[in-house]
Amino acid sequence: MSPFTRTAAHLPWRALLAAAALALSAAPCAFAREASAPLRLGVIAEEPNEPDRMLKVFGDMLARLRERLAPAGVDVGDLVITRDLDDLSQRLARGEVDLVIETVFPTLVLQERSRRLEPALVVVRRGQREYRSVFFTKKDGPVRDLAGLRGRTLVLQALRSTSAFALPKAELERAGLVLVPADDPRAGQAQVRYVLAQAEINQAVWVLHGKGDAGAFNEGDWAALPPKIRSRLRVFHETGPIVRGLLSFRAGLDPRVRRLAEEALQGLDDDEPGRAALVRAAGVTRFEPLTVADRKELRNWATVLRPRPAR
Amino acid sequence: MRLGGIGTRYAAWIAALALALVATALLAAGVVAFRESRLVQAEIHEAVGTARAADEEAALQGTATYLGAHLFNALYQLDVERLNEEIEQVRGWLPTESFLVLDEERLVLTDGTSGNARYGDTFDGELPGETAVPRIVRKGAGTEIRFVISSGGVAAGWGVVTLAEAPWQASLRRLEARTAAMWASRRSSLLSLGAVALTVTLGLGLLTAVLLSRSLARPLTEMSRAAGEIAAGNLDHPLTLDSPDELGDLARALNRMAGDLRAHEEALRAERADLASKNAELERFTYTVSHDLKSPLVTIRGFAGLAGTDLAAGKLDRVRLDLGRIVAASDKMQRLLEDLLELSRVGRVVNPPEDVALEPLVREAVELVKGLLDGGGVEVEIAPGLPVVRADRRRLLEVYQNLVENAAKFTGGASAPRIEIGVRRDDDGRVFYVRDNGRGIEPRFLERVFELFEKLDPGADGTGVGLALVRRIVEAHGGRVWAESDGPGRGSTFCFTLPQA
Repeated sequence: MSPFTRTAAHLPWRALLAAAALALSAAPCAFAREASAPLRLGVIAEEPNEPDRMLKVFGDMLARLRERLAPAGVDVGDLVITRDLDDLSQRLARGEVDLVIETVFPTLVLQERSRRLEPALVVVRRGQREYRSVFFTKKDGPVRDLAGLRGRTLVLQALRSTSAFALPKAELERAGLVLVPADDPRAGQAQVRYVLAQAEINQAVWVLHGKGDAGAFNEGDWAALPPKIRSRLRVFHETGPIVRGLLSFRAGLDPRVRRLAEEALQGLDDDEPGRAALVRAAGVTRFEPLTVADRKELRNWATVLRPRPAR
Repeated sequence: MRLGGIGTRYAAWIAALALALVATALLAAGVVAFRESRLVQAEIHEAVGTARAADEEAALQGTATYLGAHLFNALYQLDVERLNEEIEQVRGWLPTESFLVLDEERLVLTDGTSGNARYGDTFDGELPGETAVPRIVRKGAGTEIRFVISSGGVAAGWGVVTLAEAPWQASLRRLEARTAAMWASRRSSLLSLGAVALTVTLGLGLLTAVLLSRSLARPLTEMSRAAGEIAAGNLDHPLTLDSPDELGDLARALNRMAGDLRAHEEALRAERADLASKNAELERFTYTVSHDLKSPLVTIRGFAGLAGTDLAAGKLDRVRLDLGRIVAASDKMQRLLEDLLELSRVGRVVNPPEDVALEPLVREAVELVKGLLDGGGVEVEIAPGLPVVRADRRRLLEVYQNLVENAAKFTGGASAPRIEIGVRRDDDGRVFYVRDNGRGIEPRFLERVFELFEKLDPGADGTGVGLALVRRIVEAHGGRVWAESDGPGRGSTFCFTLPQA
């Protein structure tokens, strides 16, 4: 017998009746609070010490969204700025965040950890609906293909990066290579070591200055490299395409609110102020519905990219 | 206001003067303000320049030392993105023209821009050693700071910062820009103020000019009009201006001149009338004298011829009668000449005036013609209260003697001839009169009776000089004489006035 059952058995019937009445009366109130709670977007702070930067990035977009949803009685709350994926995942689990905009890999991580995230829209950024990662090395370097990375050091950006970590890692694993941290004592000639440079430009410079043998990030970042740096590098491998980003809703969100929010988000690029607000939101061009193909591809990526327990 | 006259010139001059004064004042104020602001600017420039230049070397050394330490971690980790962020921040407080971060091999790692165009370039300038102090290199107006990026004796590379100008020069330039902006603002304010001041001055100047010109020009205009009136001979419109200034003096002088001209004109007119009268009188006199003197001569000549004829015929009685006629005619001629002489003397000689009691003088005159009065049974009444007058006594006696004698001659037909002598008061003041109840005078002859040798009754005694003599004496005293009569048979009154002392 559980402690609860045992305790209930000893309670007077009047007390049980009162508790039941209290529970019944409290339930509608809780439901009312849930229904009237504002819709909240959660983001991970790029710079932990500068939360205001995220407010500047997403402030206008949220204002436009608030404006569009207000006639339907849906309120949009303040931006929820979290420290990292763990923090954001916990907020999602507690129902403090309803909306997340991230690339594929962090979205899959959050989905895995919180079990309460449902991708709904594709984020088109800087005109790209999907992108790929490129592997590059010094122009006169010895690496010619992925296999050539065995026993060498790959310069990546950050652990939560899709194009500059997860996707290259998955690509390497697909090729039968194992990626391990450079300082991992198990790292040997059979593995590919990695170091994190925190920024794409750093990845390129590190390769040029010998802190790594090759690097990997998305094709857009490759194109954005300073010409004098790019000219000293060479791409030796490309991954397959992956959607540029995902907008996901918290599972359990009022379907009406979710539907209204999806419609509003997809309409943000209808006018110039809306387009400007989207551009300020980390270069978003528009939001598009996830197609069946997208969902199928995501399931595949989920299989490949899903984080595994640390070994 | 006369827009075309002196008023307009006054207005224009006053307005122009006011405008010139205000414009000069504004120009002077503007020049002073401009010079002052330039002087202050130069002084600030010199003061700040002197003070800041002395500190610049140490400040740049400090800046380089700080950057050398601050950039170490990013450079050591080859964190180009962070280096770029740091450089961007430095550009916010240091006027950098370029900012290069070099690696250990003197190659440019980043120039702080997204394009990183200097990446990989070799810096061939002299760099400080790992422990050396930063180098400050002057390059024209610019300054270059070269410093080692190190920490704990470990050098990661170098920093080369080119400043477009020294910081203190940048401060001065900003200061100059600010003072220039202030001056521009002040100049704009001055111009606006000047425009307003000129407009207000123009308005006030014109208003003042109009008022002043009216004040100044009106009396001149009135004087001009008055001068025109005087020139046209109209002297009866005196100027009413009575100000205590020169214009008032001028107006009063004009009024005096007009008065004098009027008096002179009246005197001239009177003299002309007197001259005309005298000319007429002279003509009459000449005619009369020649006529009346000719008559006795004709008589003498005729009877002289008869006397010769009668003497040749031995008619001595007739000769005696002829001679008697000749003597009578010559006597008459003598009387005529004596009267003329007297008349002439009266016109030329007047004795000094004296106080004359009229009553005794009148009684003396009556006494002189007593024979004639008694012969005609004429009663003479002298009214009481005759005054004392200021006159030539002898001539006044002649006046009364002639008037009483004339009255006595023409009262012969009256049943109770009577002469009244007295004085009355009317509009002419005191009027002395001699009234008779004789035959009277027709109105048309009232003036003629005073003419020389004029005798209304040719048969009357006398030469016809008496009343002419009366008029001459009265007028010589400044008085006036005239005759009054209600017509024939109703008596006559001879009146005269004398100026009062």
